[in-house]
Amino acid sequence: MTNYLIRRAFTMLVVLLLSSLAIFLILNMAPGGPLDSLRMQNRGRLNQLTQEDYQRLETLLGLNKPVHIRYFTWLLGDDWIETLPTGLIGVDRFGEPYTNGTNTGILRGDWGDSWTVSRGNPVIGVIAGRLPNTLTLMACATLLSLLVAVPIGILSAVKQYSTLDYTATTFSFIGISIPIFWLGLMMIILFGIKFKEWGLPYLPTGGVVSIRGAGAGGIFDRMLHLIMPVTALSLLYMAGWSRFMRTSMLDVLHQDYVRTARAKGLLERIVITKHAFRNALIPLITIVALQLSGLFGGAVLTETVFAYPGMGHLYYNAILRSDWPLVQGYLVILSVVVVVSTLLADVAYVLVDPRIRYE
Amino acid sequence: MAVQSFESDSLLQAESITTPEESQMKVVWKRFRKHRLAMVGASILLIFVLAALIAPILAPRVPQGSGLTKVGLLHDPLAVDPANKHLTPGADGHILGTDEVGRDVFARLLYAAQVSLYVGIMAMLGSEIIGALLGAISGYYSDSAIDSLLMRLTDFMLTLPLLPILLVLSALLASIAPSPFARLNYLIIILIIFGWMSPARLVRGVVLSLRQQEFTEASRALGASDLRIILHHMLPNAMAPIIVSSTLAVGDYIIVEAALSFLGFGVPAPLASWGNMLTSVQDYMFMNPTLAIWPGLCIFLTVLSINFMGDGLRDALDPRMRGRGTAG
Repeated sequence: MTNYLIRRAFTMLVVLLLSSLAIFLILNMAPGGPLDSLRMQNRGRLNQLTQEDYQRLETLLGLNKPVHIRYFTWLLGDDWIETLPTGLIGVDRFGEPYTNGTNTGILRGDWGDSWTVSRGNPVIGVIAGRLPNTLTLMACATLLSLLVAVPIGILSAVKQYSTLDYTATTFSFIGISIPIFWLGLMMIILFGIKFKEWGLPYLPTGGVVSIRGAGAGGIFDRMLHLIMPVTALSLLYMAGWSRFMRTSMLDVLHQDYVRTARAKGLLERIVITKHAFRNALIPLITIVALQLSGLFGGAVLTETVFAYPGMGHLYYNAILRSDWPLVQGYLVILSVVVVVSTLLADVAYVLVDPRIRYE
Repeated sequence: MAVQSFESDSLLQAESITTPEESQMKVVWKRFRKHRLAMVGASILLIFVLAALIAPILAPRVPQGSGLTKVGLLHDPLAVDPANKHLTPGADGHILGTDEVGRDVFARLLYAAQVSLYVGIMAMLGSEIIGALLGAISGYYSDSAIDSLLMRLTDFMLTLPLLPILLVLSALLASIAPSPFARLNYLIIILIIFGWMSPARLVRGVVLSLRQQEFTEASRALGASDLRIILHHMLPNAMAPIIVSSTLAVGDYIIVEAALSFLGFGVPAPLASWGNMLTSVQDYMFMNPTLAIWPGLCIFLTVLSINFMGDGLRDALDPRMRGRGTAG
């Protein structure tokens, strides 16, 4: 296991490096860099920016360097670039040697400063500020989905082709067919707006806490704000996981050892809980771990609809307002989430299933 | 003469004792028809497709700036009309009312159906064709480096969370697209790039099992080339699962397109799609909540119908699944 983990950690590092390269190249090689829009705005103006102005701007943004040097300084910083021999790294686009900058690189915790969304603030701080909200949302949604999906999946399998099974199937069809964001909008209209109009107790339509009123900012207030986003985010996973649990349970129920357990006269309840359920759970655990990154990405929609100040909402605003350092930062974190959730899936598989050993 | 009549006699006899031979299509259709929800889904879907096709008849467009619109005789239902903002359903001949800039909601829904179905179907075709070919190659040469490379790539790409990646890519492409229609096609290309993996895996699995069977060996012994075996023997045998997965894929693509368009990075204005019709509804939620209902309902019903149909097709195409319908 230790051996396996060490090997996995190494692969993870390689994958992370490759994805950081992909993220960097896609965002930096894409046509229409920041200076293009500036040039467009300046076309035909009286106070034209001079060639020197552009040169100064390019140096300031680091665009004077060729792309491989830019990737290198993005990773490791440019505060020590002068110590490298010019013969190795060459000169910039204007024929001048590179000078030391102040950037220390993402590997040393410098993710650059936000351009527009939180102007001038370090990206890592802006993202870290939103992280707890997203983690809360994800944790609640995962928990809720599991609490609903697992019992329904088991019951559907145990009572296959019963009314309950058909009802659960129909609901899961609805769950995978309904657009999350539209469900969110409908929930806001019904529970937020109409309930308020009708004088019923209503739910807050956005944010994480109320600004004023009794109990604003308290735990109960926070929970009220979580109800709708968590429900909307969970629905898709409830539907998918309950189907998965049903299939997995059906598979197990047809195994020989279940027949043996029944044959030796065990109560059906014990056969299902002790023998079938625990084995049926194994594939589900893998799927849940693998889909954590999907949940993280899906939060973009939910958080945007409910104006929930998490990372997804931040990312959406960053794209909307061309805040590329922030977009880059989010994508790096996303790749970490993907890699970690894959590892989690593999490790969980070994931990819950004694039949599997990684050598 | 006598011989002939004897032959037809025996033919008649044979018909009376054996069940008449049915074509594969007929058998599938018979089984599909028994799946009630699939039939409901197919009917609803048919209505949406027809509505999209005859949109120009149901809501005829009038070219901008033609003489007739100027004097107010004819009105283009998709034209911005600030004088008639937020009309209630039924008012002034607008069946579902008008939106925040005075466009007819019903007409926009019809034209949006064209766009949403176009994106869904084109993305499906592209990803299924590419996926099926790659999967067949991967499965046929399963001991080669191509296979392990392709499957590694497939596994990796399947773990990527789609939404954030599609969001940033279509935001980048939006800046270089020359026209809204070009942006629509770029969107389809991105969807294909991130959608070929599931069909590839599916077809690979089928090809892997077919490769072991005698008829493959027989055609190889007869001197058929690898390409011929893949195209004429492998892919036709993989057709049933491909049809099911392509049906379901159309629904998935419609939902993804709607989500991207809702966020403002999918189908660009002035083209209407069910997703981008929902983009600005949050600003008018108190004033005109019905704006939010219709486009989403269209997405929901279309995708639900497609999913029911896919389920029905799965049962109808798989003889082993007979009578084991999951939903009615």
